[in-house]
Amino acid sequence: MNRDYAKYALRRVLQAVVVILLAYMFTFVVISVLPGDPVTNTLRNPQNGFTEEEITRIVAYYGLDRPVYVQLWSSLSRFVVGDLGVSLRSGLPVTRQVGEVLGSTVVLALSALGVALVLAFGTAFGAQYLPRRVGRLLRAFPSLFLSMPNFVIGLVLINVFAFQLGLFQVIDSEGGLATFFAAVALGIPVSARVTEVLIANLDHEAGEEYASVARSRGLGRTRLFLRHLLKPSSLPVVTVIALTVGELLGGAVITEQIFGRTGIGSLVERSVTTQDLPVLQAIVTLAAIVFVVVNLVADLVYPLLDPRVRLGGTTSAARPEPRDLAEVVAP
Amino acid sequence: MTAPAPAPVVSTTALRRSAVRRVPPAVVISFALVAFVLLWSVVPGLFTSHDPAVGVPADKFLGPSGAHWFGTDHLGRDLFARVVHGSASSVSSALIAVAIAVLVGGLIGLVAGFVGGWTDTVLARLVDVFLAIPEFLLAVIVVSSLGFETTNAAIATGVSAVGIFARVMRSEVLKTGRAVFVEAAYLQGGSRWHILTRHVLPNASRSVLTLAVLQFGYSILIIASLAFLGYGDPPPASDWGLLISVGKDYPLAPWLIYAPALVMIATVLSVNRISRWLRKTD
Repeated sequence: MNRDYAKYALRRVLQAVVVILLAYMFTFVVISVLPGDPVTNTLRNPQNGFTEEEITRIVAYYGLDRPVYVQLWSSLSRFVVGDLGVSLRSGLPVTRQVGEVLGSTVVLALSALGVALVLAFGTAFGAQYLPRRVGRLLRAFPSLFLSMPNFVIGLVLINVFAFQLGLFQVIDSEGGLATFFAAVALGIPVSARVTEVLIANLDHEAGEEYASVARSRGLGRTRLFLRHLLKPSSLPVVTVIALTVGELLGGAVITEQIFGRTGIGSLVERSVTTQDLPVLQAIVTLAAIVFVVVNLVADLVYPLLDPRVRLGGTTSAARPEPRDLAEVVAP
Repeated sequence: MTAPAPAPVVSTTALRRSAVRRVPPAVVISFALVAFVLLWSVVPGLFTSHDPAVGVPADKFLGPSGAHWFGTDHLGRDLFARVVHGSASSVSSALIAVAIAVLVGGLIGLVAGFVGGWTDTVLARLVDVFLAIPEFLLAVIVVSSLGFETTNAAIATGVSAVGIFARVMRSEVLKTGRAVFVEAAYLQGGSRWHILTRHVLPNASRSVLTLAVLQFGYSILIIASLAFLGYGDPPPASDWGLLISVGKDYPLAPWLIYAPALVMIATVLSVNRISRWLRKTD
């Protein structure tokens, strides 16, 4: 087992590194097939006030006068040593610009994850233990959450709680309540898949023999849930949660814009408008890195948490296929 | 004990009728709703007599009423007419997105699963890349690289879903490829092409179809999100996402947000319900 695990871990780590490098190259290619020459357009735009010298320096730095594959190679070799380039708008290093706004997005994403988990576990518990009618209603929640885009939830929350009830100010966008509501808007759609999988797992575990035995021995519902059903049902959810990272980061683009927060998401929005390609590329790569690393950790931790998982020879035998799982096990 | 009743003769039409009877009411409603939206997008003129682009300035910001079901906007245009006329663009872009995802993703998955070996390994990493970049971010960079237009937003949404379709198609192809009847077909001298078209594809298509229906709803939301950010056609286009985006600037007329949002949510919810039903009847 230990040797198997080491081999498995090594293979997964290597895969992750390859995927990150490929993601960087992929983003580069997508961005540089842009029609027109936005880099030069941005640089030559008098509004940005680059001097001729600076332009020459930046063009030389990015090798913009050389063919695309040479640019790709030099860009990749800079990326490997952690150099993400210079913003075309501000002239600051991209890493610094991203670093400045990273904190706000991390706070938002973690709060949203918290909201999503509370919602998911609450809904799953209710679906299992509340009276049948309520339970059936709760079972429709994942589907409903999946149908509500975060910008609609955000706008409704702002309209009701900020404009009508005056609970928070949209201007004080980083305040506690404002962050909470932003997290709710971002968290609700994210909770859908977690809830779906959790409900299905709970149904499955509740039907197992050990659960019947525990019930027949007179164990109360809540204790049965907490002591016996919760752990085996929520373990597989670890991998589903890891998959929500992408949704959290993607959703932040809109949520931050609506709630007027400055974070990675609003930086994406701004960089798209100003065609600040190095920043855009850095953020997309960063998102891919976060996604790959979080999922790598989930994959590596999962076999340790759940001894029932056997490590097979194929690519991802240790965990269920991500979204297929949610598809297949959905009620 | 009475003699066993003769087995009832079941005609195919009766069978079909009983299958229809087993459709849950929620699914029937969902089908009806989706049908309505599809009709809106094909013949919008049948459902509203108001012009979506020309308003009566005196009638601006009217709340929902008998004359204006969804109220009117800041230019006095009938919002219901705008939603109905906007559905064509929202629905057709979602269809484009799904078509791209199914064709490109399906092809990648099919080749990976059917050819196997090194091809599979290489394609698997490519698919990993598609899955590693958050879907919405991927859609954003693709659309910003193609240019801000609703068609491009649809293409971007399709590209962002390629990974998941490739993965599902691959696993379906692998599953079928191992089945005994496929082995039998090989032994009887069936060519690879014959097996691919007669056995593997038909079997895989069911899961892909279910996913495609689900993705249709999801694409509506992503395209609306892109339109909301202003990455689609500019006004006077009336994509649902764009309507909501314009409506958010008038907090005193909340129906400008609620009405198109409810239409969109109801549509996507119905599509999801249909997809779940398809999966169950599998």
